[in-house]
Amino acid sequence: MKEFIRGFTDDVVRTIYTVSQTEIAKAINIIQSVYERDGRIYIFGNGGSLALATHWVSDFNKTVFSHNLEKHRRRFQAIRLPSTESEFSAWANDMGYDMVFAGPLQNYLQETDCVIAISSSGNSPNIMKAVELARAHYVPVIGLSGFDGGTLNTLADAKILVPTEKGNYGVVEGIHDIILHLITKYFQDYFDHCVKQDTV
Amino acid sequence: MILVRAPLRIPFVGDGTDLLGFSTKYTGQVLSATINKFIYLLIKPTDLVDRYIVKYQTIENVTDPRFIKHDRIREALLHLEITNGGIEIASFADIPAKTGLGSSGSFTVALMKGLHGYRGQPMSKHEAAEAACALEIDILKEPIGKQDQYAAAYGGFNIFRFNLDASVDQESVLLGWEKRALLEQHLLLFYTGVTRDASSVLHEQTAHIDDHTATYKNMAAAVPDFHDALIRGDVGVMARLAHQEWEWKKTLASNVTNEKIDTLYTTGITAGAWGGKLLGAGSGGCILFFAPPDRQAEIREQVSQEAFRQNLLDFQEITFHFTQSGTDILYNDSSNRL
Repeated sequence: MKEFIRGFTDDVVRTIYTVSQTEIAKAINIIQSVYERDGRIYIFGNGGSLALATHWVSDFNKTVFSHNLEKHRRRFQAIRLPSTESEFSAWANDMGYDMVFAGPLQNYLQETDCVIAISSSGNSPNIMKAVELARAHYVPVIGLSGFDGGTLNTLADAKILVPTEKGNYGVVEGIHDIILHLITKYFQDYFDHCVKQDTV
Repeated sequence: MILVRAPLRIPFVGDGTDLLGFSTKYTGQVLSATINKFIYLLIKPTDLVDRYIVKYQTIENVTDPRFIKHDRIREALLHLEITNGGIEIASFADIPAKTGLGSSGSFTVALMKGLHGYRGQPMSKHEAAEAACALEIDILKEPIGKQDQYAAAYGGFNIFRFNLDASVDQESVLLGWEKRALLEQHLLLFYTGVTRDASSVLHEQTAHIDDHTATYKNMAAAVPDFHDALIRGDVGVMARLAHQEWEWKKTLASNVTNEKIDTLYTTGITAGAWGGKLLGAGSGGCILFFAPPDRQAEIREQVSQEAFRQNLLDFQEITFHFTQSGTDILYNDSSNRL
């Protein structure tokens, strides 16, 4: 049993060091610029990745500012797409599963926004539809992918790839979650500093 | 209606190596950062009156874009063939023009991005920068380089490389908030109260570029050193490199500096600044000092008194933060859902 646990842990640790810190930094810069222009961040994924998106939105919209909620009148506007199950099923049922993210995204998207697309394979057709919509309007794309990165890693402005063998969802999704927490912590520290310096 | 915003910029090192007289023979490079002082443009159709209305320091109201006196707006409208039906363009700025913070380039990027957006054509950062360069350099024949347009279009801390074929490479300096805040805490920015027109200052400089090739090469070569100091958070080295650049720059043309500017600069250094430089083409504009926080009150006091003695009535300190965002269409009601 311990051998299995050790093996899995080693796999995670080895893999996390192969993720490009430069690309994570680019993602942070994109989010910083969206905050400055009061834009919105749309995040989406399938299955476990959608759960990561939901988790991150709740952290990012509140936890980042939670030490000083009342002092931050302008906060992040991160939105998980689709934002309701009804929209999800409506788009899937009426327009096809490929449109469950691009459909709602088109309702919201403005030039000041950015998107975070999460896809372990980097090739999910419904994810790529939404990414193509954003790219057509030069809205920056942060791509969290795994395996060989797929099309998402090719097209994203910030290419956050967790490189693994094909199908290693557990390690990819786990590290995606850590990276999303890293982004949250970065901005939490930054805005705590702004409050201390009274530069909110 | 479109509201577009472009940031102003502070060049740290390599300033001037984007001039075509140098960058068409040797690779130029500049490290700069944008600040939270902006140019805003509002662009809207005039549905009921077929007029061309331009609002800046003055108001122009003409029947044909060819009659517009504002050269950038006139040429942009003609170039983009926005010549049917009226249009109204109004500009607003946090800081007056000609202060050495790159406002002309920022204005032009905002104008080109805004007018393309007005026509329903979104632009990438690179396209917006190049469109602005084409207007200013190719059409208006300004004796300038490409650094301001690129800085405004991209936003943030960047290294821009100006290649021999006139193309420009952009590299983001990935600076975390701690290093950014550290640098902000060590910077003082003063507007000298003297405005200057970049083109008039640059004419002499551009005419003598070939006499100063070695100096321009030194200025471009300082970029990697400044970059490394930025990443390490070594403000002392950054101050020294900026000061060195200013010393070099003063040798490039007789009108880069003058007695007033030299005295203001020396006053700041004597009061405890580690280094600094004049921003912009020269002869006026803003002075940037790198200084330890515990000397800043003294520097502020001494430099202000010196400006007062020199009767620089518009002299003032500009407080700022760095920004990451570049030129953005903040509002677009013709396609506000993309």
